[in-house]
Amino acid sequence: MATVLVSETEKLYVLHGVQEDLRVDGRARMDVRPIVVETDLVTHTSGSAHLRLANSDILVGVKAELEATTPARPTEGRLEFFVDCSANATPDFEGRGGENLATEISQALARAYQSAHVFDRRQLGVLAGQQCWVLYVDILILECGGNLFDAVSMAVKAALSSTRIPKISVTAVDGGEPELELSDDPFDGAKLDLRSAPILVTLLRIGNFCVVDPTPEEEACASAGVVMGVNVQGHVTMTKKVGSGSFHQRGLIEALKNGTAIGVELNRQLLNKLEEEDLQGYQRPKFGFLS
Amino acid sequence: MLAHKTFLKKTRRGKILKVVREHYLRQDLHCGWKACAHCAVAAPSEASVEAPLNTPLTPPEVSPCEAVASPHLLILDTNVVLDQIDVLESGHLADVVLLQTVVQEVRHRSSPIYKRLQDLLAQSQRRFYFFVNEHHADTFVARRPGETPNDHNDRAIRRAALWYRQHLGWAVVLLTQDADNRQKAQAQGLIALSVETYVRGLVDQPELADKLAVRAEQAHDLTRPALFPEHWAPAAINRGVKNGQLLVGVFYLSRTNYTQASINVEGRDQPVLIQGLAHQNRALDGDRVAVELLPAPEWRAESEVVLEDDGQDPGDTITEDHAVSGSTSRQVQPSGKVVGIVQRKRRQYCGVLLPSPVPQATRHLFVPAEKKIPRVRIETRQVQRLTGQRIIVTIDAWPRHSRYPQGHFVRALGPIGDKATENEVLLLEHDIPHSKFSEAVLACLPELPWVITPQDESERVDCRHLDICSVDPPGCTDIDDALHCIQLPNGNFQVGVHIADVSHFIRPNTPIDLEAASRSTTVYLTDRRIDMVPGLLSSNLCSLRGGVERFAFSCVWEMDPEARIIQTKFHKSIIKSRAALTYEQAQNRIDDPSDETSVTQSLRQLMSLSKILKQRRLDQGALVLASSEVRFTVDSETADPIDVQVKQMRDTNSMVEEFMLAANISSAKRIFQEFPDCAMLRRHPAPPPSNFDPLVKAGKRQGYEIKVDSGKALADSLNAATDGKNAYFNTMLRMIATRCMMQAVYFASGTIEEPLFQHYGLACPIYTHFTSPIRRYADVIVHRLLAASIGADSTYPALLDKKSTQNIANNINYRHRMAQYASRASVNLHTHMFFRNKKRDEIGYVLFVRQNAIQVLIPKYGLEGTLYLRSDTDKSIAFHFDEDEPSQSCGDVTIRLFQKLRVQLTLDSSNVQHEKLVLRLVEPHIPGFSVEAISDDETSMEEEAPLAGSTPSSKIEANAKPTRKRSSPQNSKATPKAKKGKKS
Repeated sequence: MATVLVSETEKLYVLHGVQEDLRVDGRARMDVRPIVVETDLVTHTSGSAHLRLANSDILVGVKAELEATTPARPTEGRLEFFVDCSANATPDFEGRGGENLATEISQALARAYQSAHVFDRRQLGVLAGQQCWVLYVDILILECGGNLFDAVSMAVKAALSSTRIPKISVTAVDGGEPELELSDDPFDGAKLDLRSAPILVTLLRIGNFCVVDPTPEEEACASAGVVMGVNVQGHVTMTKKVGSGSFHQRGLIEALKNGTAIGVELNRQLLNKLEEEDLQGYQRPKFGFLS
Repeated sequence: MLAHKTFLKKTRRGKILKVVREHYLRQDLHCGWKACAHCAVAAPSEASVEAPLNTPLTPPEVSPCEAVASPHLLILDTNVVLDQIDVLESGHLADVVLLQTVVQEVRHRSSPIYKRLQDLLAQSQRRFYFFVNEHHADTFVARRPGETPNDHNDRAIRRAALWYRQHLGWAVVLLTQDADNRQKAQAQGLIALSVETYVRGLVDQPELADKLAVRAEQAHDLTRPALFPEHWAPAAINRGVKNGQLLVGVFYLSRTNYTQASINVEGRDQPVLIQGLAHQNRALDGDRVAVELLPAPEWRAESEVVLEDDGQDPGDTITEDHAVSGSTSRQVQPSGKVVGIVQRKRRQYCGVLLPSPVPQATRHLFVPAEKKIPRVRIETRQVQRLTGQRIIVTIDAWPRHSRYPQGHFVRALGPIGDKATENEVLLLEHDIPHSKFSEAVLACLPELPWVITPQDESERVDCRHLDICSVDPPGCTDIDDALHCIQLPNGNFQVGVHIADVSHFIRPNTPIDLEAASRSTTVYLTDRRIDMVPGLLSSNLCSLRGGVERFAFSCVWEMDPEARIIQTKFHKSIIKSRAALTYEQAQNRIDDPSDETSVTQSLRQLMSLSKILKQRRLDQGALVLASSEVRFTVDSETADPIDVQVKQMRDTNSMVEEFMLAANISSAKRIFQEFPDCAMLRRHPAPPPSNFDPLVKAGKRQGYEIKVDSGKALADSLNAATDGKNAYFNTMLRMIATRCMMQAVYFASGTIEEPLFQHYGLACPIYTHFTSPIRRYADVIVHRLLAASIGADSTYPALLDKKSTQNIANNINYRHRMAQYASRASVNLHTHMFFRNKKRDEIGYVLFVRQNAIQVLIPKYGLEGTLYLRSDTDKSIAFHFDEDEPSQSCGDVTIRLFQKLRVQLTLDSSNVQHEKLVLRLVEPHIPGFSVEAISDDETSMEEEAPLAGSTPSSKIEANAKPTRKRSSPQNSKATPKAKKGKKS
């Protein structure tokens, strides 16, 4: 994780703020900073989203490709996450600097989306035992302003919600090779069912209290944290402890409860906004990076 | 301004890509009206080089069309261009805006029409303006979700039409065949009409309505009962083919019976038989069709009946005469029915109008010249003008309820019977390029006077001291081979074959080369020659004329006295032919003991060597097959034929032929050795044994066993089968054998296995054509390969690419076949002219016995005719057909295979549209059926047709296809050149 240099006095100040439920930027412990999200910016992907959470800037592109199914799951497609930490975000990412973080994030996402109850991979099946769609979710971290797990997961969800899977029909099987016919309408694509898709919520323990949506300074003060995948129904799809410190049992349960509540709310709001955006139609003006 | 165009694309490897293209919109595109004040830019000038497609519009003062009150611009929908390109080409529509949307859609849907459209746009006087609507900021429309490409295009067209109206401020007429589009356009306040309405409103051009194509939906009248089963949808056909329910093959209509057809399906050795018009289901000859096999109990044998579709329009009925369909008893063949047409092979057809008996009618039948094409119903109001003319018609649709396809008139060629018209028909029907050579081609010709430079002399072997001479048919002007022979001190002979060095003048990839490659062969009609290369080359610079110095490509052998080749050398040379002899002159010189000139000496040596060569070839199993060649004596004033003779064969013909064969074989070996992958070779596949059935059957009838297991066995058994009483019997057997053969073809050596290279007829393992580069393009390629192999010339990439060589070979094969058909048709035409107002009794022989007719061969004219066995007057005359013999008997007279008959030949001109030769039986006499012989002085009463009537020669190549008759035209001094008799 990106490190900022924080002096001991500053740390103390942050710690006290958290204790008082008044954080350095004026938020309460369970407050989330404003989020700006826009989908469908990258025209040549199947779906894309740009998300800005304070200074964290994430661009996600989803590419759907036809591939062979795996023998273990002949009727299902696959989701592949790949995170690229741009050296633009922080000098620490230079070279292979971002690699550990990238792996950590993509693994967390993969685990969060793993369950069939969360994301049904059968909607990516094309021809049982032969062909399926594989969604390559490419995540680009352009700027690092803290709370990357949450920002990335929301951007991924937004990108997946804008993804249109090209409509294809299997016309015939010729000598074991299926013949696929592609619809000639570029708008004619299937939406994914993301009603149960999770986002990640990070809670960091600072002193005896947990905060959500930490700033980089807060991240530097935290001794331990937990990242959890939560969907709109309130199911926890994944948990992961981060940081070197420890949690008290009661504190952890409290944190998970709080995180679930925050996750449900974030999910709900995100879905609402995405729907609102979708209703504006294909001709809505796009802002992109210039907004 | 920028917009994006997004579409999905499937790659060849099955990946699906989303492609996004940037699409730039401009505001500086001109609307096309010359004097437009609103456009920001200047109008494109007519002379502008960079935009030759843009012709400024200059609308007329008044509307040419009754249906529209004010002067207007026309905007066309795609379907109008696709369906009615003939109307557009007619030249009566002007001030037309062709939108980019339309042109692009046309390009996707039909490339020939796209090509024609491009030509139209290029004609500046036509005032067709190409408007790039998709890049104009005001007329661009982005695709909406859920909109089909078609709807999107229609919307773009309407948008452009609206823009034009608003921009120019006067009427814009949108022509579209799509009722829905028309309605939407009218709702937007545009004038939208169908082409029919518009064209009928053009009061000044009533004949334009004839050119309107009948559209499928308009032709399909659901109220009438359907005569034909529905065609399957393409998807259903694909499924059927995949699961093996359907077969796909090319549909070939029988030449003798229009209700019968066969389909050659790849991978099946027996063709599928189609009987009856309903089973043919509107397929035309040459279409690729999907067939469904009938259950085995419904399989039939091929019918022996000869049937022609004649008479008047019977209305929309099909009478399936069951007596006509084949019996079930004899050898049945897999039979099927056509369920759909995979690929149409429609073109424009030449033919004549058969006027409707109702005088004021506008619907008439059109009779194509090609017998295998059904009659076509067309609509015209110019019957008076078109009767007696050869016209061209296009088929538009063949609705289910109609007995005949529907089409429209394209143009008239000229009066029937006029020789120029008839020749034009011939050439068009056989797809023979016969336009004048273009300027670009002529620019490639060497400048005159043509001189041999010292550099040429240094590069070539000087053979001017040799006594070379050429031997050709009389009147030949494109002499491409010459010979010499001298005795060497060691007792061996040096024999040289010198071939015109055409590849010296025709350099690869020049316009002249491309033109020659496209023409591929010189076409010989009876009274006209269509050259492959311009006359300057074919008759002058390349022609090895007597007494002049010419470039040659020489193949020089050292042969021992037994005519065995000791050594072969190829080199480019300069020769000076001592004499250009005819076959007759050469023969006379050889036979004249007093002639001791060196030319004659070498001719004699050549002659004796050639006899050894020929004998050796025959011993190896080369076939001697028969065909008849005729020549017309032509009236020098009118160029009408006044006499027909069968060509004479002399020893000298065969002498030249032997050396040409030897030269071809030597060069084939050489180029294959040097270029194993891309050598242009010629092969003649061994026919499958089943092909020989008619021959074996015919031999057996006369008590001879014809063995067909190898070429040698066949040659031997043919030699043995002679009949003392019927001297013509052997020749006829050979003619039947000829028809059993496969077609010889050119190919690139890398495309097939070496054992398949064999030339069955010549009994040699490898063969090519080297000796006639003036009239065959294959020889030019062979020359180039040979020249490269001896270091006399360089190669170029296409020469060494087997794919491109194979493509060239395919084109040559096609052109070659068409050229043969055209020559035959030309002889046919001249035979008809010859028999006009004549009546002849001639000796004929029965070549085939059919169920209701016999095919008679008349050696004197080398023609084959059908004698129908039914009496016009007396219905009581009935022939009994014995299938096994085969024979036809009536009373106590029996007509058997190979029997000699006397027949009377007349030309039936009662139907001026379609003259045909009619045969009537004279002898044996059948009361009530036969006709009386003409008195002696009128007819030539040769008792015995000379055996030479049909000339045995090794010309199997030309004769491989069954034909009604075969001949190679030859003519008198009035015409440029006759075909050579030596082209194996």
